[in-house]
Amino acid sequence: MFPNAKTNQKIAFTLLGMAMGLVVLFILIILYYVIYNGYSVISLEFLTSMPAKRMTAGGIYPALIGTIYLIIGSMAFALPMGILAAIYLNEYAKPGKTTWVIEMAISNLAGTPSVVFGLFGLAMFVKYIGFGPSILAASLTLALLILPVIIRASQEALITVPREYREASLALGVTKWQTIRRVVLPAAIPGMVTGAILSVGRVAGETAPILLTGAAYFLPRLPESAFSQFMALPYHLFVLATSGTNIAQTRPIQYGTALVLLMIVLGVNFFAIAIRNHYRKKMHR
Amino acid sequence: MSDDFTNGTEIEVRGLNLWYGTNHALHDISIDIPKNSVTAFIGPSGCGKSTFLRCLNRMNDLIPGCRIEGKVNISGQDIYNKDVDVVDLRKKVGMVFQKPNPFPMSIHDNVAYGPRIHGAAKKEVGGIVEYALRSGALWDEVSGRLSTSALDLSGGQQQRLCIARTLAVKPEVILFDEPCSSLDPISTSKIEDLILELKKQYTIVIVTHNMQQAARISDHTAFFLLGDLIEFGRTEQIFESPQKKETEDYITGRFG
Repeated sequence: MFPNAKTNQKIAFTLLGMAMGLVVLFILIILYYVIYNGYSVISLEFLTSMPAKRMTAGGIYPALIGTIYLIIGSMAFALPMGILAAIYLNEYAKPGKTTWVIEMAISNLAGTPSVVFGLFGLAMFVKYIGFGPSILAASLTLALLILPVIIRASQEALITVPREYREASLALGVTKWQTIRRVVLPAAIPGMVTGAILSVGRVAGETAPILLTGAAYFLPRLPESAFSQFMALPYHLFVLATSGTNIAQTRPIQYGTALVLLMIVLGVNFFAIAIRNHYRKKMHR
Repeated sequence: MSDDFTNGTEIEVRGLNLWYGTNHALHDISIDIPKNSVTAFIGPSGCGKSTFLRCLNRMNDLIPGCRIEGKVNISGQDIYNKDVDVVDLRKKVGMVFQKPNPFPMSIHDNVAYGPRIHGAAKKEVGGIVEYALRSGALWDEVSGRLSTSALDLSGGQQQRLCIARTLAVKPEVILFDEPCSSLDPISTSKIEDLILELKKQYTIVIVTHNMQQAARISDHTAFFLLGDLIEFGRTEQIFESPQKKETEDYITGRFG
């Protein structure tokens, strides 16, 4: 554009800086808004008591517990499946038609709208297999939702493990699987953990999949088993925002719920970064 | 080909051909590698010496599209026979690579890696690690910090660690693929001294770009050019009175 290369660089960097500034600005605005409107209700009691008086008072305890169950449940299914799939694709699969089809399937899974996952979960886990609306059905549905994310993150992690490690191990008379188990996997764990933890944020916030597979408007008791229905934070937020009759009273609770959700996601992300940095130092990368 | 090897022949190669896809990279190589001595492979870049070296422990199997024909007999057994256990072969024929590649683990765990996987008892491991590090001329420098990360060592130390790691598996043959090319002269000379020590117990094959190195430490030398084995004989003979013109041209620096 301009003849001077130095000026061009300055302009480019300024534009990039402004773009980044805009992004940070939006995040800060959202954070500010949520904190400002929600902090007043946050307290230990809020987190540990049941909603009362038709949601106009009380706390979000059952929704919090429900979300935690969902996180544990979906991870329990998605992590082993995703990591093993990534190992297969990266270490064993030979380039060819079958592999191409598998990669296509994963990409398509990644692009599917979350409400479609909800419908699938309803048809497959709730109805056909017969789990009914339950934590189990919802966890499986959410597991499918985050599976592509975990596979991709794990694949990336495996790819960055240097070829030299594998060669060195094989040259010592060690089998391929032993090499993967003892050298490649441990070296890939930081990337895999990061992917897993980022998925936690996703699971905590998804509403459509759980809507159709077991989330309840209100339950007087905590879920008793994996086959029980449950409450969850994102759905609770939706419910408060749309079906409340006393807006003035429920608004702070809405924002409080949103704040708790945000804090979970932010906290989890910071945790992921901390773990990743710790392991990066160990690997000298 | 073999001039009365003092300790006998360790490896016999007959008619080895290798293709990378359609590229015929090694042409009909036949050579005898003597036992308990150092054999050097020299030649210009791309002549096939590293490729040929990797045939000896079947590391070329890992390269998709690589096809090999011919016989490689080690201790009387053709390693390319269908019944051969490749994993077992690589215990007997170890390899040290051009760039030191220690695992991101402690020094101790690096050396213990092979023995542990092969079933060494817990109380034996410490002894094996010490033996290997002593044989690898590294013990004195690291005995006090075996649990520190191997990645903290200098380049020369890392390479000696890789050698120790290979020794811990108790091989019969050790293949060195330009082991000193990324090291400084002092580390290089330490490793050369180490190789001269090791040949008493092991059969050593070393690929090197450095002709002076070949002249310094090897007993026999093989000269490769464009995928052919041009000449093979005692090192003094190759360097002082080469039989083939190509050999003489390379030695005197006319090319390569």
